Amino acid sequence: MVSITIDGQTLEVEAGSTVLQAAERLGIDIPTFCYLKRLPPLASCRMCLVEIEGLRRLQPSCATAVTDGMVVRTNTPLIEETRSSMLDMLLANHPLDCPICDKGGECELQDMVMAYGPRKSEFRDPKRVFHSRDIRLSPVVIMNVNRCIQCQRCVRMCEEVVGAVALGTVEKGMDTAVTGFEGSLATCDQCGNCIEVCPVGALMSFPYRYKARPWDLAETDTICPHCGTGCQLTVGARKGEFMRVRSKEEHGVNRETLCVRGRFGLDFVESRDRIKRPMVRRDGALVPVSWEEAGDYLRRRLAAVENKAAGGLASACLPNEVLYQFQKLMRTVFRTNNIDCSSRWSVPFDMLGPLLTGFYTRASLHEVIGNDCVLVVGGNVTEENPVTEYLLRDAARRRQTALLMLSARPSRLDADARVALRVPPGGEAPGLAAVVGGLAARAGRELPDDAFATIGRSAVSFGSEGSDRLVAALKEGRSATLLVSIGLLRSPEARATLQQLNNLLQVLRLLGKDVAMQFLFDRANQMGAWDMGVLPEALPGLLPATDDDAARAALGRAWGAEIPSEPGANFDAMLELCDVGRMGALYIVGSDPLMTYPDRRIVQMALGAADLLIVQDAFLTDTAGLADVVLPAASYGEEAGTFTNNEGRAQKLRKFRNPAFEARGNLEIFDFVAALRHQTLQPSTQGEIFGEIARVVPTYQGLTQDGLGADGAFTKAASPPPAGAFFAPPPTPKVYDGLMLVTGDCLFHNGYLSERSEILNTVADDPYVEMSTQDAGQLDVSDGDQVIVRSAQGELKAKLKVNRRFPGGLVFVPENYRALRLNSLMRRGEYPCPVEVLKAHDTFEIAPGSGPPASPEDLGQGMAGGSP
Amino acid sequence: MSMREKIEEAAARYPDQRSAIMPALLIAQQEHGHLPGPVLEEVADILGVERIWVYELATFYTLFHTVPVGMFHLELCDNVSCMLCGSEALLKHLEEVLGIEKGSTTPDGLFTLSTVECLGACEMAPVMQVGDDYHGNLDVGRLDALLARLRAEAGQAPGDDIAAAAPPGE
Amino acid sequence: MFEPVLLKNIDVPDGHLLATYEAGGGYQALAKALREHTPDEVVELVKQSNLRGRGGAGFPTGMKWGFVPKRGDKPKYLCCNADEGEPGTFKDRIIMERDPHQLVEGLAVSAYAIGAETAYVYVRGEYVKAIRRLEQAIAEAREKGYLGDGVLGSDFNFTIHIHCGAGAYICGEETAMLESLEGKRAQPRLKPPFPAVAGLYASPTVINNVETLACVPHIVMRGPHWFRAIGPDKSPGPKLYCVSGQVKKPGLYELPMGIPLRELVEDHAGGPLPGRGIKAVIPGGVSAPIIPRDGLDVGMDFDSLAAAGSMLGSAGVIVVDDSTCMVKVATRIIEFFHHESCGKCTPCREGLNWAVKVLRRIEAGEGAPGDLEQLDKLCKGIFGNTFCALGDGAAMGLRAALAHFRDEFAAHIDERRCPFH
Ligand SMILES: Cc1cc2nc3c(=O)[nH]c(=O)nc-3n(C[C@H](O)[C@H](O)[C@H](O)COP(=O)(O)O)c2cc1C
Ligand code: SF4
Ligand code: FES
Repeated sequence: MVSITIDGQTLEVEAGSTVLQAAERLGIDIPTFCYLKRLPPLASCRMCLVEIEGLRRLQPSCATAVTDGMVVRTNTPLIEETRSSMLDMLLANHPLDCPICDKGGECELQDMVMAYGPRKSEFRDPKRVFHSRDIRLSPVVIMNVNRCIQCQRCVRMCEEVVGAVALGTVEKGMDTAVTGFEGSLATCDQCGNCIEVCPVGALMSFPYRYKARPWDLAETDTICPHCGTGCQLTVGARKGEFMRVRSKEEHGVNRETLCVRGRFGLDFVESRDRIKRPMVRRDGALVPVSWEEAGDYLRRRLAAVENKAAGGLASACLPNEVLYQFQKLMRTVFRTNNIDCSSRWSVPFDMLGPLLTGFYTRASLHEVIGNDCVLVVGGNVTEENPVTEYLLRDAARRRQTALLMLSARPSRLDADARVALRVPPGGEAPGLAAVVGGLAARAGRELPDDAFATIGRSAVSFGSEGSDRLVAALKEGRSATLLVSIGLLRSPEARATLQQLNNLLQVLRLLGKDVAMQFLFDRANQMGAWDMGVLPEALPGLLPATDDDAARAALGRAWGAEIPSEPGANFDAMLELCDVGRMGALYIVGSDPLMTYPDRRIVQMALGAADLLIVQDAFLTDTAGLADVVLPAASYGEEAGTFTNNEGRAQKLRKFRNPAFEARGNLEIFDFVAALRHQTLQPSTQGEIFGEIARVVPTYQGLTQDGLGADGAFTKAASPPPAGAFFAPPPTPKVYDGLMLVTGDCLFHNGYLSERSEILNTVADDPYVEMSTQDAGQLDVSDGDQVIVRSAQGELKAKLKVNRRFPGGLVFVPENYRALRLNSLMRRGEYPCPVEVLKAHDTFEIAPGSGPPASPEDLGQGMAGGSP
Repeated sequence: MSMREKIEEAAARYPDQRSAIMPALLIAQQEHGHLPGPVLEEVADILGVERIWVYELATFYTLFHTVPVGMFHLELCDNVSCMLCGSEALLKHLEEVLGIEKGSTTPDGLFTLSTVECLGACEMAPVMQVGDDYHGNLDVGRLDALLARLRAEAGQAPGDDIAAAAPPGE
Repeated sequence: MFEPVLLKNIDVPDGHLLATYEAGGGYQALAKALREHTPDEVVELVKQSNLRGRGGAGFPTGMKWGFVPKRGDKPKYLCCNADEGEPGTFKDRIIMERDPHQLVEGLAVSAYAIGAETAYVYVRGEYVKAIRRLEQAIAEAREKGYLGDGVLGSDFNFTIHIHCGAGAYICGEETAMLESLEGKRAQPRLKPPFPAVAGLYASPTVINNVETLACVPHIVMRGPHWFRAIGPDKSPGPKLYCVSGQVKKPGLYELPMGIPLRELVEDHAGGPLPGRGIKAVIPGGVSAPIIPRDGLDVGMDFDSLAAAGSMLGSAGVIVVDDSTCMVKVATRIIEFFHHESCGKCTPCREGLNWAVKVLRRIEAGEGAPGDLEQLDKLCKGIFGNTFCALGDGAAMGLRAALAHFRDEFAAHIDERRCPFH
């Protein structure tokens, strides 16, 4: 610690702190432009100059390290004059077009001039003008170079935080301008973080352009619905109409960053696809009706299936309260444990449960990625959880974290990794087993013998140098964090993958490391959905639904209802119930399995075979097109609640508009449905439900809504680690030499919400197929060609994107382009999916029959077409 | 040697490929005369560096030209020493005889006229650089002689093929 | 008469060839250093010589070398600053064109002293002839074993690479040069860390000017005391002065440090052109504040010039005679800095732009009352507040011109024209 005196106040600060940081702690305001907390100082704007005793010149406080006994002054006449002079110079060429500038009213330059600027300028010469018209750098970014003050925050943000290296600075001196390659940002991430950090109106959001003045906006702090990172964002609405999103430097795991989905993908709330009125199926077609009519219809249909099985599927994008109430509804009103929260995979709960309760680290990401090693397993964190990726990059570049990657898909983060290990598609389980084996071999006597008995003493090695270095890094580090892509659950080998994860965590623990583990979810509230017990095997709090009578009884008492003791079916098994004619009512909330279940044919047949299909959703999904009853629900932003993110942080989701058209809140609809069965759900308001969750769910105990401040609050780890069971390595995978299709999120889309954002669709309208340079070469196809991807089940056509970092044999198609119907290529129980890729010829038409089955939109939407 | 080979050879001098952007741009400019977008992309691809980095350098440094220049680039120093020794008059003369303003190229593509900052040859001020060569102690007479020589040289070179024109010898 | 040291070979035919250089005793200093001295001893010799950097700032070279950490697993680099962009300066070009081996040997001895195995010579791209000569010299020296693996049979390995600049004065600023070498826009870096600790590729790096490095072999051969005996003790050695502008005999002169400016201009360089009188002299490149006629008795060394309110800088001596308009000279100087400002920091980028606009107006006879006060205020806002010394140099230059020739500026404004036209 060193001592510093600023303006007469003395303070002890950590060695290495800057004068600016010390002043901040004393509450002394020093103006800055180029300074950005998360980046190394640039010290170019010279706003923050201060006097330091003993030094002749003023020094930039943002870049001056405190030395012991330093005496600093920030409020002398010389400093005031200097600040005023800097602002005077900045204004000399600034266009001062504040009345027509989007930034007017929230512009740092305006504010700074008010606070520190000259009252009048002597400058009378003509101003520099770069361009008379603003430059459209990309679909979402528009630039007015004349207003730029060269703080370089945008460029540094783009390169150092986002890692996109899309923005740059051209020319020099007075001609310096920020722009993209050849004046375009057409191929950048479109994350808009450059816009966010621009202190003036130089970089602007095109979609928000000229739409509102900041003081016209009602701003609401809430959570992004687009992935499990759970970024805080602020929605600006004008007269109830969605206007823009921005992020705040002070709040959330993300601080001022967001990704393209968060910043530009919230306009889906206004999608044309919104369901306006309830609909019921009459004479084969869905027709709009009133809520009463829908109620009557549903009451009749429900009565008819009362004695048959029921099942429920809810989206992991819904708030905790809705999910909690949904499973309560299913368990107490529909009297079934047939409940699931994903149609994309079946969770091997016997393996997942212990991982979640024994190893899952409910702690800030910032903290866990500060560990000596971070191993990222599977997926592509750059595209799936972009903001998490920013933080990982920062950890690797500035916090000495050894970043280790093990996945089939390459990602941009590989460049910052100490080791990036490529495994064959679907090869994560054996890959992890190799790491476990390698670690055990290296650890030798440090591990107990019984561990070796199952793991085996010799590494199931790829024999690659990379795997050795990865193991060495894990062995050397004193602490390690595993971040695991949830996409790994897609594989029929998910169980083996989870087993090997378990082995790895156990071995690391036995070696005395501090170990942390978190999943990287692509659904905003996947953690919450599991915590809330939207699983056949688990009650809220991940308590066993059937094996633990005491737990079930206790919860039942709290609910004033009995919880069925029969084991439930997951979604996969529910489809089978449908198939064999045993499913009475299948209740789907906010989920579109017809698009996402990895076998479109099967799910289509099964949904058709259920006696009664109820779909409650904000959007007219493909699945809704097959429903008997469609209940229009509030969308994101139209009801309050909480999300629990990857970190186990519960955060407040706020309402910024009323439900569109005749849509009703999800909770209200559950009450409506329960009433049709002459029951009530208690309690029924969001606040009360949250209170009940905080009472009955152990991990949420003690949380209060008010306690969820701007940064939310962490849920608690469930129970102590389980006694270490080890699992044998999976059999060595058979070598498949053809192309293997994997899927997942792309940067611009991660689910049916993003696909309904008009802005995201203009940014990334083309679905694509990604493959390696060598495979493309062999197939004689090149970047931009239309290609056909064909599996045993079906085929699709899309534009080829050649990626030179892709390994041979890997084909990637993003999951969320409805037009592709990717799931029609997939076969249940098979993933990755073997495919062939061929060049599409213009004349070539996809043969009817082999292609996707007739569109359910055609079936159902006739009805919706009428836009009720 | 192909451009790629030359660039790769230059890149071998540095532990980091990014360092080789400047030498690569000089090589590419020798090859292409100037540096349009596709050339910048090619340089980025050869070195495996970000395109924007290449673009940044191509515009920061004055010796790189993103737009074409004439066969002979007349770069007249107008910094203090040369100014004191009469470069202003020389500029006026050049503008007159070439019929263009500084910063532009004659319609026949022969000459581009620029003023430049100090060439580091003030002992022979006023100085002008043409291609690789410095011409010092200039006055109107010497300038005219030089222009005549350059014109003659261009006459021998195959018409409009700039790349084929040998740089004026020492 | 002062016996030339650095320019000894300059007018010798084929002075740029190895044979000529060897015939004059070339590469003996390298052999001597490798044979008789440890690297630390060479650093010590240079320290004792009081050699101060010839690039402009006059920082003691031995002390700079001493900052390089002795241990550490990172490679060390030597960078030679041959960017020579300071208007009025041409000494480094002449060394490289006519006696490049002197630099090559200087590089080798210096690299040995600091423990570097790689040197980059950053030569401004316009210097095509110098670059070719240097390339040739490096090839010759490598052939003869003065460079390469195991220099002269020792275990010292040394490689020199040339990096061509591409036209940006700021690359002469040492940290901007490092950025440029790393393939970035040449903008100065924050210090600390200083290059000696974390410079090129974050490795310990020494940056020295061509002339500085050229002095080193002579110090090794003749000893630090010989060097120190030339000129003032605190600022000693033979010095290259570049004289240009309105004088009879512009050219490169080698004379002891500290000789009076008047003697340099009037005796060696022949004085003003016929019929003219000297009005003022810029003693060290345009970054150095101008000295009016009556200040010419100042000694040409770092300390004396600093005491006189100017600086030795790059020793680019520009003579301005009484036929010349000072407003025009000042405008041209500020235009230069404005053009060459890298654009990083506010005061330099914006302030110089503003200053240029006002100066051009005054020069064109469109000045207005208050303009000079505006310029004073700008100088104050810029000086001391810029990120690097470029902006400072500009502000100092303008301030000096305004101070010494205020009446000329005022006349432009009052008469609404240039009195010299
Ligand atoms: C704007 C600016 C331009 C400079 N230009 C040069 C130059 O062209 N050549 C040079 O040797 N030093 C130049 N310098 C000085 C260098 O930064 C540095 O001090 C010098 O290269 C160190 O070498 P020395 O210690 O041998 O002088 C410049 C400094 C500044 C601030
Ligand atoms: S003073 Fe500032 S803008 Fe000027 S050259 Fe230095 S860093 Fe760049
Ligand atoms: S904030 Fe310190 S110089 Fe800009």
